[in-house]
Amino acid sequence: MSKNKKIVAGLIMGAAALAIMLFASMPSANSKEITISDLLQAPGQYAGEYIMTQGLLRGDSIKWDADNIRLEFEIYDEHDAVLSVYHDGIKPDNFSDGIIVIVEGFLHEEGTFEAEKIRTKCPSKYESADMENYDIEQHKKILEEQTKD
Amino acid sequence: MYIVGNTALYAGLLMAAYGLAANFIGIKKNSARWLESARGAVLALVLLTSVASFLLFYLLGTGQFQYQYVASYTSENLPLIYKLTAFWAGNAGSLLLWLLLLCIFTGMVVFSKEKHNRMMPYVSIVLLLNILFFFIVITATSNPFEMTDTIPADGKGLNPMLQHPGMILHPVTLYLGYVGFAVPFAFAIAALILKRMDAEWIKLTRRWTLTAWLFLTLGNMIGGWWAYMELGWGGYWAWDPVENASFMPWLTATAFLHSVMIQERKGMLKIWNIVLVIVTYLLTIFGTFLVRSGILTSVHAFNDGTLGNYFLIFMVAMLLISIYVFITRYPLIRKETNPIESYFSKESSFLLNNLILVAGAFAVFWGTMYPLFSEALTGVKVNVGPPYFTKVMAPIMFALIVLMAVCPLIAWQKAKVKRFIKTGQWPFLAGLAAAAALVAAGVEGPFAIIGLGAAVFMFAVHVQEFMFGIRARRKVTKESMFSAAWKLMRKNQRRYGGYIVHIGVAVIAVGVIASHAYSDEMLTTLEKGETARIGDFALTFKGLSERMENGNGIVAADMDISYKGKSAGTVRPEKIFYSTWPEPSSEVAIKTVASQDLYVVLSTWENEDKATFQLKVNPFVSWIWIGGFIMVFGIIVALLGGKTRKLAAVSAVNPEFVKAGVSK
Repeated sequence: MSKNKKIVAGLIMGAAALAIMLFASMPSANSKEITISDLLQAPGQYAGEYIMTQGLLRGDSIKWDADNIRLEFEIYDEHDAVLSVYHDGIKPDNFSDGIIVIVEGFLHEEGTFEAEKIRTKCPSKYESADMENYDIEQHKKILEEQTKD
Repeated sequence: MYIVGNTALYAGLLMAAYGLAANFIGIKKNSARWLESARGAVLALVLLTSVASFLLFYLLGTGQFQYQYVASYTSENLPLIYKLTAFWAGNAGSLLLWLLLLCIFTGMVVFSKEKHNRMMPYVSIVLLLNILFFFIVITATSNPFEMTDTIPADGKGLNPMLQHPGMILHPVTLYLGYVGFAVPFAFAIAALILKRMDAEWIKLTRRWTLTAWLFLTLGNMIGGWWAYMELGWGGYWAWDPVENASFMPWLTATAFLHSVMIQERKGMLKIWNIVLVIVTYLLTIFGTFLVRSGILTSVHAFNDGTLGNYFLIFMVAMLLISIYVFITRYPLIRKETNPIESYFSKESSFLLNNLILVAGAFAVFWGTMYPLFSEALTGVKVNVGPPYFTKVMAPIMFALIVLMAVCPLIAWQKAKVKRFIKTGQWPFLAGLAAAAALVAAGVEGPFAIIGLGAAVFMFAVHVQEFMFGIRARRKVTKESMFSAAWKLMRKNQRRYGGYIVHIGVAVIAVGVIASHAYSDEMLTTLEKGETARIGDFALTFKGLSERMENGNGIVAADMDISYKGKSAGTVRPEKIFYSTWPEPSSEVAIKTVASQDLYVVLSTWENEDKATFQLKVNPFVSWIWIGGFIMVFGIIVALLGGKTRKLAAVSAVNPEFVKAGVSK
């Protein structure tokens, strides 16, 4: 074995050790992405698991408590499964009816979702929105495409 | 206009195909006339894409809403600069921008003084393949010159988040970086096809690679700054798939920049370099695929499935071509590669740096793609968030900083441990002293302190290198301090430019570590006259006010700030209600005192005397921007620097002279 090969082999082994370390630390830091319908079918199944899910925001369900800094709202998916969510934090920009909300957090047994993180996404965020003729059907279709397996 | 725009696009499509054919025929028949004709086709492409781009600028600037693209991204009351930058607000325009840059770069390459180089027709073919692909995508899926059915009275306006100076610079710089890597890739493939295993392709593309890297660095920095100023979540980097998409090629390109030095000087690592440049190029396409396909859950998603498919197919095609060319030439490259001579040498430390950078790129790739892998394997989409990335990248970045500290101290070929310790001891002690001072000052967090100490160590090594160089030079030339420093840099710009970049990285490292470890956040609802305290800051809410500006309504909160009990001025976080946008957007207020950013977002309000705020203290974030400037300055120094080959030749005669940068 030439010296060159030994050096490369040694370095690659070092890098491999590093890589193994990386992937060993994996499970501690992730969230499962599950659709609202799946979540509501068996809320107990996901107890204690960090979950990411997304749905369309129901505008008239938004409740904001300024003194306690708590936000409550409902999101629904294309099968009309409705998830009620609360978040101890502020309302993000663009938080309006029909927008896609991505929530991360825990599902409690009674079926309410405690969101540690909420983000909003408009499918047309960059592809500029046509708010006059805002098309919920189109939104649903996009959501469906995104969440279908 | 409609005709001009579309003619330019379709003529470009044909011209790219013709240029490819002319190059093939020219190579086959060994005909200079055909090759000349292919060059002509490239020139025509530069003109055609310029015409199309100027036209789009014109349509946007003059508000021609009969064009769908103009109507979708601009409106009557939009400031002119954002009307023009709406060029790259959507798919069609940003693809056109990419195409324009690609054509200009190709033109610069094929009309350079190397135009009669034997590699050139092959380079031209690879670049024309790219150009042809983009023409196909634009004409097939996203034509910027499509008309609307009925002419709207006004456009829909630009997304408020895009109305920020970042919009002017970020996409353009990032694209300059992305597109720039196509050039070294094309040269690498050309060299492979011609079985040219010397370092010529690397020398010819050194400036291209550096320039592309410069813009990719700038693009990422500006993106971080934009996110920090505009998005209102108080951070500059979220490990979002789209951010990762531009970080991965940056990492592999950084590795490439370092390893080509070894090939240039020593004729080693030839296989590695070719692999790196291929990977970097493919990652730029992959990044675009990720952004456009919407296969991952990202806040950035553009959501156009078909466009993503085009990029996927193109990427796989280029991957297969690269693999084929590479494998058929592999035995040849291997034969001509020199082996490394010693474990403890600059060469092996560069190789280690490369492996760490590539491991970093892989870790980012793994984390980004993990949702897809896990879905394929277990059926459940598992997302890995920022905790994974910080956990994985922190040790990698730490290792890189230590390596950057150690590397300048290690000699080429075969280093001596004794000399290494002698030159390294003072900087190392400086790092230790910095860490000790932090502990003494009551700063907590062992990892952050170790990281900060390492950054100081790395910084000190580079300062010492400058000092040694200046001293050695003054010994020989008896110049003044400043003139010695200046001439030293001028004589070896590549080396000292690189050192300046490293110093910039040290400054950024301090910013990143401190802002991660020591930031503070709170949410609070304040009534008029109430005070909130966070860190060393105290804010007093003075009430809300309303005003109109450019047809947009603005609600602003006035707040007095004090820092450590002393008045430190005021801040004014705002919410802007754009007339073309249904939802208001936050305008963050930032006050920097003693390197600490006080970051204030006005969230909601009940009435004009009661509002909810998000407050953050982010220490040393401004150092990240300063470090970015230092890096860019260093890259420009290295870029303007000439060849170091002559100096290297002198080194055999008198190493002291080289250190001093004095050539005979």
